Amino acid sequence: MTCRLYQKDLSSYLDGELPAARAARLEAHLRTCPHCREELDELSGIARHIRAASTHLEVSCDFDQRVLRSVGYWRVKGRQTRQRTLTKPLTIIAAILLGLLGLVRHFFAEPPVPEPQPAAVVAPAPPTGALPPPAPARSDRGRR
Amino acid sequence: MEEAVRHGALPLDARLATADDVELVAACAAGRPEAFRELLARYRRSAVTLAYQMLGNAEDAEDVAQEAFVRIFQAIPRFRGQAAFPTWLYRIVTNLCLGSRRRRRVTVGLDAVREPRAADSPSRSVPEGLLARQVMAAMPADRRAILLLREQEGLSYREIAEALGLPLGTVRSRLSKARTAFRRLWTKLSESEEEQR
Repeated sequence: MTCRLYQKDLSSYLDGELPAARAARLEAHLRTCPHCREELDELSGIARHIRAASTHLEVSCDFDQRVLRSVGYWRVKGRQTRQRTLTKPLTIIAAILLGLLGLVRHFFAEPPVPEPQPAAVVAPAPPTGALPPPAPARSDRGRR
Repeated sequence: MEEAVRHGALPLDARLATADDVELVAACAAGRPEAFRELLARYRRSAVTLAYQMLGNAEDAEDVAQEAFVRIFQAIPRFRGQAAFPTWLYRIVTNLCLGSRRRRRVTVGLDAVREPRAADSPSRSVPEGLLARQVMAAMPADRRAILLLREQEGLSYREIAEALGLPLGTVRSRLSKARTAFRRLWTKLSESEEEQR
């Protein structure tokens, strides 16, 4: 009766999926019960048997192609490729046009018209070292 | 590489070959279908093998695996990484197999269990492997599924719970019962083999 309770846990114990407290109780029981130890050994052999049964199959050569056809892979891929093939030349053409536009502006555009200078409000200062303007001559001869 | 050539695969982007599953799923969801091809190359054999162990027929197994990959491709844009990619794939394969068996009421007779065409058979003891396949064929499909997910695919209890949509406690008890059933059938068939000799 006691063994039956523990045997329910053997499978999880084997997989390391038994909570720690239950695992500790089971281990204490296994130390004293050869029958349950034997049961545990037999269960651990099952994994080996199943792995022996798990021969990997040789998958058909056209398996991938069938899947890819079913999902419309080539259609999606083609759309993506078309987008790329369209986008790339358009980008190049746009770059060339921009370049040409730049050149045209550089060579053919009218030179910039200089802005008119505002009229001088203050008379220019006399050059340094210049003589002062001559004083008006007095004619004393006539008075005498 | 040889397998890729055999499957007529075009050269894949080297970055995709080194990407992990999460990155591949994200790339595929972002509109890079070649990421799906890499996932297909990684998991085709596991999916077909799992389906074969469930159904006992190579052609049906490939059909189921193909359908599983198609569903994955369609659902990838909505996939939020709730489970690891293989767990997701195995869940779909298992459910398709269980559904297929229910619809067609397939029962794999012990005599129908033959050696599959093996790609590589390291350490395959033929009598042990054949007997194990007979035992698996004689088991109910749900028990077989849980044993395969654990022993063949190496899923944790949590992953099995996700794959089969079961509570963790049910996984624990169902796996225990499946192992007990396997052991009983193994003993019974081994004894009858001995008697026939």
